[in-house]
Amino acid sequence: MIYYDNAATTRPNEKAVARAGIYLTERYYNPSALYGGGFAVSGDLKKAREYLLSRVADPVSYELTFTSCGTEADNQAVFCCAKRGNAVTTAGEHAAIYASMTELNNRGVQPRFAKLNADGSVDVDDLLRLVDDKTAFVSVIHVNNETGAINPIADIAKKVKAKNPHVVFHSDGVQAYGKIPVRLSKEIDLYSVSAHKIGGLKGTGALIRRKSLALAPFVYGGGQESGKRSGTENVFGIMEFCYAAEEKFASLQEDAERIRALREYVRAGLDREIFTRLSPESGTPYILAVSAAGLRGEVLQRMLSDNGLIVGTGSACSSKHRFSRVMTACGYDEKTLDGVLRLSFSPENTREEADEAIRILNATARELKERTK
Amino acid sequence: MEKIVIIRYAEIHLKGKNRGYFERVFTVNLERAMKGLRHELRRISGRYLVENFDEGMLDEILGRVSRVFGVHSYSVGYKVESDMDAIFAAAKLVCPMSGTFKVDTHRADKKFPLQSMEINREIGGRLLSERKELCVDVHSPAAYVYIDVRENGNTLVFGEFLKGLGGMPVGTSGKGLLLISGGIDSPVAGYMMAKRGMTVDCLHFHSYPYTNDQAKEKVVDLARILSRYSGAASLRTVSVTHVQEAIHEKCAPDLMITLLRRFMYRIAEIVAKRNGDQCLITGESLGQVASQTIEGMTSSNSVVRSLPVLRPLVGFDKDEIIERSMAMGAYETSILPFEDCCTVFLPEFPAIKPKMSYILEEEAKLDVDALVEEALGTLEKIEL
Repeated sequence: MIYYDNAATTRPNEKAVARAGIYLTERYYNPSALYGGGFAVSGDLKKAREYLLSRVADPVSYELTFTSCGTEADNQAVFCCAKRGNAVTTAGEHAAIYASMTELNNRGVQPRFAKLNADGSVDVDDLLRLVDDKTAFVSVIHVNNETGAINPIADIAKKVKAKNPHVVFHSDGVQAYGKIPVRLSKEIDLYSVSAHKIGGLKGTGALIRRKSLALAPFVYGGGQESGKRSGTENVFGIMEFCYAAEEKFASLQEDAERIRALREYVRAGLDREIFTRLSPESGTPYILAVSAAGLRGEVLQRMLSDNGLIVGTGSACSSKHRFSRVMTACGYDEKTLDGVLRLSFSPENTREEADEAIRILNATARELKERTK
Repeated sequence: MEKIVIIRYAEIHLKGKNRGYFERVFTVNLERAMKGLRHELRRISGRYLVENFDEGMLDEILGRVSRVFGVHSYSVGYKVESDMDAIFAAAKLVCPMSGTFKVDTHRADKKFPLQSMEINREIGGRLLSERKELCVDVHSPAAYVYIDVRENGNTLVFGEFLKGLGGMPVGTSGKGLLLISGGIDSPVAGYMMAKRGMTVDCLHFHSYPYTNDQAKEKVVDLARILSRYSGAASLRTVSVTHVQEAIHEKCAPDLMITLLRRFMYRIAEIVAKRNGDQCLITGESLGQVASQTIEGMTSSNSVVRSLPVLRPLVGFDKDEIIERSMAMGAYETSILPFEDCCTVFLPEFPAIKPKMSYILEEEAKLDVDALVEEALGTLEKIEL
């Protein structure tokens, strides 16, 4: 089975899982416990925290809080920062931000959604137009999880702050962390990341915060994570995240180049009569969105899976939620929206696999076209 | 003082010489419902007693009893020695603290020193003197205290009558095959037939890869919910993918659903006969959607050769169906957004009143027998 749905989740890094196993079998202590074992575990967490943070931000100015997932980090950012006035985001956000922003409506804060360019990146001018002196919070996804478009968040944050310096600027970095080079600039206050997109486990995420920003907790309780996120830490998940990240960051550049070549190879192999490319070339190497116009993405996805290739899709057979919200916001027509597939890669994917994947994609799409003509 | 549950049955008393048979099936169904819970079930003159259960499991037992067809009503009460002090102690537990009440005694044990009316007066009097806010009303009391002095030296004391589902014990009215989709109606249709005592088997048509595994799983869940009432143990599935593709390729688009339903009925009749089912059951309601017009029903009925097609919801409004779906606990599952028919094949304008000649003309473009045979080859059985 060829796995091209790595933007949904990656296969956990086996070596990292094995290395972290000791936190299940021997060092199972509660990191908040005051005896030696607990203290030792809290020390290990501290090292992991510092490592994961220092890869993308300066640990002197930033702090990292572990959460249960990227979605929780996003929710904390939204609900603990957007408390008055309005909040601005993009139409290209992951549901974690999009649904939280929509919920703000019920809490007396007006959400505003900036338009997208055709490739899924945000229309920066439109975003800036929405920011005013009542704006409390702005969130812009770093790498669009459906098209792979990269938003220039440092630049956007700078422009936003120039317009309103009191804004808290957040970015969802789930598809960027460990995959493309990231260095948080001082205008970026908050940044969400997740473990299971880079060989980590589901159930582990983090919110990176500029230290000078006061942030209320989202989950209250025993005061773990310096009071920012209560609940006993997922020690195994965090340590495994750290070990998996070590591997990712060690070869981040080489991987990105190799996968970019792989992406272009797959693209070039696809039948041009059927597939059109939706992802921008300048986007993350890890995501290739295409459309088999006129075919139903969800049906094609199931047939591909039966034929040995797992991919993501942006369309459904459901008559109510047929099209992807983000792809619709990119402005594609219904036929294109119907046939959206998302191929997303990991460093584990090989060239030989790509040949087989191309063969399966072309043959399956032709078969479905024939069966439903 | 022991807590007990008293169960009364509906309609079985109408069954004359067959009553023993109905009671036996009912007993089996009650035992099946209470499987896994410590209890003893005993039949006593026209009623059942559940005894010797863990009191912490009372709500669980009541919940299960409330889902057995044939239960007319049930009550929680106490079993005490036939002694006035013990009876009074139990009466205090079932009688409210205030409001109007009435004591109603049935004395099977004619050796008991007090007669029914005397027991009523004695217990009523004691309750009144202890609870100043109580007041007797023998015509329309807000609460009853029932006292049943039994011949074995025990007395049952109970209050409120809780309403059961009614109907007939499942298994006493034959076996039918329900065409179950992922929607709201068909599980309710199965429920209605089970209510009249029919064992309901389920058959689902899918069109993978045009429908997904989630949609199928949803149907499995619905069949499981239905089986709590209907006693069915399995769900059969058949793929009509190739039938749909063939109709799509060769026939008029507005007849997609009409023709597909004719195939479903043909396949269902064969499956039913192989399986000993005596009828087909569908969730159709007249006029609800394009294929459920009288013309649509005529079209699908005409391919079924020898079994009746029962449509217990035919005269129901959607609201009424939804109400029943909620009551049986299927609604939340039914409205999950996994569809059992892919929009790929849905015509923009389905035929509402298709003429039989038109249907036959279009159907003649297909090799019906071969398609039916092929679909039957995809039959799967899922244990619930």
